[in-house]
Amino acid sequence: MSAGYSSAGRILIVGYGNPLRCDDGLGWRAAEELARTLPAPDIEVITRHQLTPELADNIKDADAVFFIDATRGDQPGEVTCKPVLPQPWIPYCHECSPAAVLALAQQLYGATPQAFAVTLCGECFDHGDAISAPVEAGLPKLTALVKDLSSNLRKTPVSYQSIASAIP
Amino acid sequence: MAVDERRTIVIDPVTRIEGHSKITLHLDDQGRVEDARFHVTQFRGFEKFCEGRPFYEMPSLMARICGICPVSHLIASAKACDALLAVRIPPTADKLRRLFGLAQVVQSHALSFFHLSSPDLLLGMDADPAKSNIFGVLEQNPSLARDGIRLRQFGQQIIERLGGKRIHPAWVVPGGVSEPLSEADRDAILETIPEALVIAVRTIDWFKGIMERFREEISTFGNFPTLFMGIVKDNGGLTFYDGKLRIGDASGKIVAQGLDPARYSDYIGEKVEPWSYLKSAYYKPAGFPDGIYRVGPLARLNVVDHCGTPRADQELAEFHELQRTAALSSFHYHHARLIEILYCVERMGHLLNHPEILDKHVRAIARPNALEGVGAAEAPRGTLFHHYKIDEQGLIRWCNLIIATGQNNLAMNRSVLQVAKHFVHGDRLTTGALNRVEAVIRTYDPCLSCSTHALGQMALSIQLISSEGKLLDEVSRG
Repeated sequence: MSAGYSSAGRILIVGYGNPLRCDDGLGWRAAEELARTLPAPDIEVITRHQLTPELADNIKDADAVFFIDATRGDQPGEVTCKPVLPQPWIPYCHECSPAAVLALAQQLYGATPQAFAVTLCGECFDHGDAISAPVEAGLPKLTALVKDLSSNLRKTPVSYQSIASAIP
Repeated sequence: MAVDERRTIVIDPVTRIEGHSKITLHLDDQGRVEDARFHVTQFRGFEKFCEGRPFYEMPSLMARICGICPVSHLIASAKACDALLAVRIPPTADKLRRLFGLAQVVQSHALSFFHLSSPDLLLGMDADPAKSNIFGVLEQNPSLARDGIRLRQFGQQIIERLGGKRIHPAWVVPGGVSEPLSEADRDAILETIPEALVIAVRTIDWFKGIMERFREEISTFGNFPTLFMGIVKDNGGLTFYDGKLRIGDASGKIVAQGLDPARYSDYIGEKVEPWSYLKSAYYKPAGFPDGIYRVGPLARLNVVDHCGTPRADQELAEFHELQRTAALSSFHYHHARLIEILYCVERMGHLLNHPEILDKHVRAIARPNALEGVGAAEAPRGTLFHHYKIDEQGLIRWCNLIIATGQNNLAMNRSVLQVAKHFVHGDRLTTGALNRVEAVIRTYDPCLSCSTHALGQMALSIQLISSEGKLLDEVSRG
């Protein structure tokens, strides 16, 4: 999957989660920051509460897609980036995984963008709109990673193997 | 005989619906289905925790009840607040709210028909549940899957364009809307209407072509007499925003009309059952449970005289020919839903071309002038009532919400029983029987998050329990 891609022209960044459940809203925070600081014309930044099948429509014109989400784990503030491959499985009909949305875009429109799940480990998922300190500290790392990868994708295809070394 | 002494089947959780529920099927001594219950197992309590909040926060708070139809709650809530202010909102705000509501109906109906129910309709009621999803539809009929995604996207993009975001927009406010429509947004929405119209017509034609395959389901999916209720315009036309309540019976006769929605409590009673968080609404003059009535697309099309747009009216004329009486089978909810999508798209075109639609005066400003207000509208799933009482400081002291799914609760329970009696035999649940029990609930497109004002996960479970109270079978999905 890492070989054979042309360099990315159009990049789609999807920040998702529930901004009223504290760290679950980090995808929105990151997306808003990226929308402010990345050059605009060929980069589309959107926010969603959850991924739905309609996102396939946004993906169909993208050469690369970043899915930014919160995750749970032992290391709050830790940033991870993993490649996403299309996977046609959908447990519910209006809530999808990144892999399922990619599969829909592929099957409906023949779209095969490179895709990455960029996650930041959250600490607090209670009701509220505040971000925890570890996530606050991790957000610049996450946005820097997405910016670097976006920049590199424009120059040359990024091999999935090189992603780990790109994490700040 | 007590329930726990009987044999019962439990379906827990129910899948491809909005919310969390389970079904129990009770068997008699001969192993035949004797009773069925659709239990809603979630609770949230919006009516309680909004007490003490300023009334003007209500539209935004109430929109949080649901991620699928927040616009309906916004509109009903804002209308209740308009009543507290005792203002008449500007004509353009009225049109923009209507437009917003229509976009919501399109996206919600598209979700119900294409994403939740089309797998049953395309792949059949006996299909493997693992394939009954959008990927299964995609394999069999990519055009149908693509149409579903495009149509839902169409509705959501209009909501986003008008309200600033597609979920929980706060654009509708007491007294009107917060921002006028720009010419650029009007033109952008108008550009998308032709494609949506083509999809709506194509989908109705497809559905009419496959209906014949579902004769058995049409005759057993909630096919019994009830009353039907909806808000209609003064001229008897279809509306989602404003009008008077009309109630029709199973023969197609209108039994009550011109009822003021603000006096809903004169006509609608609610009964609490110990086995469900979902209350059962009934038509008070007929009593409980004879006052069973249905709301939503089927009911609306049964009680209106016309839609008011040319293509939808053609389809409505055919719809009214389905049965000599009112269309009784809940299977016809699907058909009605598609006709309503067509109506909404046509009506949006009319509204967007209205000369006043870009007017900048879109909000009436006032302080509270009444201590009690009711707002009613037709949500995608049926009639929605918001009723608030405030104190002199404008703080909410009491709130009552009557949601479509609660009004369909009696009919949903009876529908499950009818399907189970016809399709469930013996002490094991077959895939086909389980699929049909779920599918009949899905015809109503119940939103349990709305109706219990609860935060739900889509899931269903069914248990089969013997007359001795022994669990014979249990199937869970989701």
